[in-house]
Amino acid sequence: MAQTLHIESRGGRVGTPLLEVQNLVMHYGTKEGEVSAVDNVSFTLNNGEAIGLVGESGCGKTSVALTLLRLLPDNSVIKGGDIKLDGESLIDLDEEQMRRRRWRDISMVFQGAMNSWNPVYRIGDQIREALRLHWPETLTYQEETDRIGALFELVGLNPVTMERYPHEFSGGMRQRAVIAMALSCNPKVIIADEPTTALDVIVQDQILRELKKIQQELGMSIIYISHDIAVIAEVTERMGVMYAGKLVELGSTLEVFHRPRHPYSYLLLSSTPSITGPRRKLAPLEGEPPNLLNPPTGCRFHPRCPFAIDKCSSEEPGLVEVGEGHSVACWNWQEVPEIGGLQK
Amino acid sequence: MSETMADAGADTQPLIKVENLRKLFPVSKSIFREAHDFVHAVDGIDFEIAPGESLGLVGESGCGKSTTGRMLTKLTDATSGQILLADEGELIDIASIQRSHMRRFRRRVQMIFQDPFESLNPRRTVYDTVAESLTVQRIGSVQQREERVAELLHRVGLTPPEQFLFRYPHELSGGQRQRVAIARALVIDPTFVVADEPTSMLDVSIRISIMDLMLKLAEEFNVSYLYITHDLAVARYMCDRIAVMYLGKIVEIAPTEELLSNPQHPYTRALLSAVPVPDPAHKRERIDIKGGISKALNPPPVCRFIERCPRATDHCRTSDHPEFTDLGDGHFVACYNL
Amino acid sequence: MADILTPPTERLDGFDPSAVLEEPLWRIRLRLSWRSFRKNWALFSDNKMGIVGILIIALFGIMALAHPVLMATVWQDHLEGGKNVYDIRAGADSIIVTKTIVEEVTDPVTQISQIEAMFLGTGVSIPEIGDTIEAPLANPAPPVLSGVDHPHILGTDPFGGDVFSQLLFGARAAFLLGAIAALSSVALATLVGTIAAYFGGVIDTLLMRLADLVILIPLLPLLIVVSGFWNVELTMLGILIGVLGGLGGTAIILKSQALSVKVKPFIDAARIAGGGHWRIITRHIIPNVLPLSFLYMMFAVTGAIFTEAALSFLGLLNIQQSWGIMINIAHTQGYTLEGLDVWWLMLPAGLSITLFSAGFFLVGRAMDEVVNPRLRKR
Ligand SMILES: Nc1ncnc2c1ncn2[C@@H]1O[C@H](COP(=O)(O)OP(=O)(O)OP(=O)(O)O)[C@@H](O)[C@H]1O
Ligand SMILES: Nc1ncnc2c1ncn2[C@@H]1O[C@H](COP(=O)(O)OP(=O)(O)OP(=O)(O)O)[C@@H](O)[C@H]1O
Ligand code: SF4
Ligand code: SF4
Ligand SMILES: [Mg+2]
Ligand SMILES: [Mg+2]
Repeated sequence: MAQTLHIESRGGRVGTPLLEVQNLVMHYGTKEGEVSAVDNVSFTLNNGEAIGLVGESGCGKTSVALTLLRLLPDNSVIKGGDIKLDGESLIDLDEEQMRRRRWRDISMVFQGAMNSWNPVYRIGDQIREALRLHWPETLTYQEETDRIGALFELVGLNPVTMERYPHEFSGGMRQRAVIAMALSCNPKVIIADEPTTALDVIVQDQILRELKKIQQELGMSIIYISHDIAVIAEVTERMGVMYAGKLVELGSTLEVFHRPRHPYSYLLLSSTPSITGPRRKLAPLEGEPPNLLNPPTGCRFHPRCPFAIDKCSSEEPGLVEVGEGHSVACWNWQEVPEIGGLQK
Repeated sequence: MSETMADAGADTQPLIKVENLRKLFPVSKSIFREAHDFVHAVDGIDFEIAPGESLGLVGESGCGKSTTGRMLTKLTDATSGQILLADEGELIDIASIQRSHMRRFRRRVQMIFQDPFESLNPRRTVYDTVAESLTVQRIGSVQQREERVAELLHRVGLTPPEQFLFRYPHELSGGQRQRVAIARALVIDPTFVVADEPTSMLDVSIRISIMDLMLKLAEEFNVSYLYITHDLAVARYMCDRIAVMYLGKIVEIAPTEELLSNPQHPYTRALLSAVPVPDPAHKRERIDIKGGISKALNPPPVCRFIERCPRATDHCRTSDHPEFTDLGDGHFVACYNL
Repeated sequence: MADILTPPTERLDGFDPSAVLEEPLWRIRLRLSWRSFRKNWALFSDNKMGIVGILIIALFGIMALAHPVLMATVWQDHLEGGKNVYDIRAGADSIIVTKTIVEEVTDPVTQISQIEAMFLGTGVSIPEIGDTIEAPLANPAPPVLSGVDHPHILGTDPFGGDVFSQLLFGARAAFLLGAIAALSSVALATLVGTIAAYFGGVIDTLLMRLADLVILIPLLPLLIVVSGFWNVELTMLGILIGVLGGLGGTAIILKSQALSVKVKPFIDAARIAGGGHWRIITRHIIPNVLPLSFLYMMFAVTGAIFTEAALSFLGLLNIQQSWGIMINIAHTQGYTLEGLDVWWLMLPAGLSITLFSAGFFLVGRAMDEVVNPRLRKR
């Protein structure tokens, strides 16, 4: 009974590797050709850690998450790579084994989920449904209710509101309920895809703080996905920068922000306005995001890259270590200048 | 009312002067019944914009920013109050503009919309869209219009123009569409442009180039912007002054850096403390306020912010919504407890 | 405002806008429409159903065109008794056979001799048993594929009219009716829907109550009543079906489409450009409603053909010839229950009605996928 009330992360000791993603490749087949949405992506998520994936729209952030959960649409093909959770490969599991793991081990706050509550059921009952499907034992109705109440309190909602319908919730409350649902089965990993994108800053701030508290207090491991680097800066310890289906830079958040080594990260950072620091001329990032149906050869960033050298258009750079836990996929990373402590 | 006016600079005549502007939307309207409930979308606001100046209007979703912009462009009629537009040295009330003079007004005031995918007619080419004002107002010959449109495309960075003139919106990327929308707004040489969140739907990587373009063109065309955004960082980049709006009221208005460094209204402070900063080393002091914005349905006459205000006192609860206090240097705040 | 049009060249860093366009605007537009037609055709032709529909419609098109051509050429000389065998109506009298009267049959109800009835009022003296008379062939003749004596490849109707010729002529009638009904219904529906959506308020309420009223009145019974008062011929029927269809359901559907267009920011942008109501309706709303209108036009054809067939079957229309009339004649002459023995009386006409409607329906469905990209498969 008490155990059903306990909300925890079922991951291992904080700091040890939990989720290892190696050379993941995923394509979507379309009438026009193959969309190379995830190309050779590798990263590790440690227990109790919050990492971030950042990149502009269409660069494949959601696709990475969906591949981890193996919740891909029919037209997708996982072409290669491995995903290990607690040392066990998820790629080889059959659909039934994966289904059991999905909500229970890895859960996800889907992009735009706060707008996809079923309007005709009470919020609480929709979470109850998730519990019934994924909780390993059968719970009594009262146990379920108690657990949902505890989840609501954890995400800053009043438990009595579980009797309400989605339209009676504000956007922020709906998003909190989505997070409660993601936490419902004590997952090892939560993937939060754009968890605050449609929300006002004040509500966004409250929710990010709550998530951070949950991560720190429960030792939860969270992958944040956002196009907003300021959000990533707020909540993560390590981050990866994605461009056109590839991970181009990976490192501690502090380091990537203060000493980005990849030209794209550099330009993304220097073209983000901020309310702090000097009000200065920002460096625009020229050109348009590439078409993944037919990505540029060599380094996918080369048509927009001011640091490009000859071989960029023909040879593809791999991730190389440039510092302690900091790697970058660029031929010319030494030339990327220092931002110089962005805000100082 | 004039003492509550937030002056841009006393030496120049304002381009736009808004006085006690209100817009109420009736709720549950039917032909048979008078509406008794009103959403006070904009509830008595005053501001001025000087020629060439850009004013940022920031606030949470639903606070009335777009409604204000729509009234300034006469897409929506104001319930009460005045919008005065400088025209040949005189301030004229745009509500009183006769139908026959509407075209003249349309030449002076233009708008750029938020969603570049919805603001261009999918069945018209770039040329048709950009030339629309010229065609409707019968300015120039076809040849002249083509040249003017080509010139505008060149200026907004859609080069070479002949490659873009006869494309349909679906053949353009989001950033390119927004450039077309900017060209459309500027083709008729307006003096005032309302920009309603023009970059919020764009990819992060192309926002800055659109903002830079707008800044560059503001100078070249000598236009003033009312720049509507919910993002204070964007407002800081784009605007000379910022007005913070809350539930239909402007609660604070000040020159940009003054507002950011010396916020006085409890709401402005909370808002500023919640803006995420793209620097993981940045530590900031949090100001907690309750919940999200409510709907301005028949609000009581007291301070609009009272429900969420950490500083509210009995005086706030028993008095009307506060008038502006002049803090000097164009900084005005509407709060009793400074 | 000439100053708008003379650019301050020093700011344009050497760019000369006058050098941009060599081609005249109309040529560019023509090319654009051709390109968008080709693109839509590519989308449309992806769909097998649509192609089948087009082929069916094309087949009937050829049939409709063939009738006058055949009449003027191949069928020209098949005269019998001064009349063309293939003439859809006159052909009925042309096959005269010699009959000998062998029996006097009296109608059990009226107690009048059938022979008497036949010649009553003709001025000819009433023949007796054993007399020989010349009478039109009052039996359908079965199809004969070749032979000059019996040149009816699909046989004749009970009056001796050539079924094949009637079938071809019926295709013409079907196209005419379909076109009139579909065009008038959709033009009206587009206009009514767009105006109701754009202006809203009282205009909207009035138009929509009218639409409700039209939907409430069942079309077929109304037309039956109308045909009791007036001589309803083809054009009139087309317009009637069009107006009633156009004011009803289609108007409501097109209105909801127009409403979703009306709230788009590009309509606001057009207002800011200074466009009046009429310009916004015609240049901005209707072009975005039109694809859906075309779609409903296809379905309107189907509806019109069925309505005509039903009314003709009941013998309520004053139409020279149509597929419905062909079935009506077979029915009134008592051949309905003969089944497959006289298949050529009902089957060709019935099949034509079904196929013709199906053709337009299939095209409509395929167009649906072009108009609503969401239905398209990835
Ligand atoms: N089911 C699909 N079939 C084909 N292509 C797809 C499919 N889903 C996504 N894509 C394409 O794959 C690429 C990556 O999409 P994804 O949704 O992962 O991007 P994202 O980084 O999450 O973007 P956003 O910030 O807009 O959510 C895009 O170019 C997208 O168009
Ligand atoms: N046409 C309308 N009819 C009724 N209410 C309206 C209408 N337009 C706006 N409102 C209401 O007026 C208030 C202000 O809306 P407005 O669109 O001006 O907000 P906003 O500040 O632009 O918000 P956002 O940041 O979400 O665009 C909201 O409560 C809204 O629901
Ligand atoms: S590899 Fe070359 S093109 Fe790619 S980011 Fe580095 S410098 Fe730029
Ligand atoms: S007037 Fe009172 S309630 Fe309003 S903001 Fe100031 S302190 Fe808060
Ligand atoms: Mg995504
Ligand atoms: Mg708005």
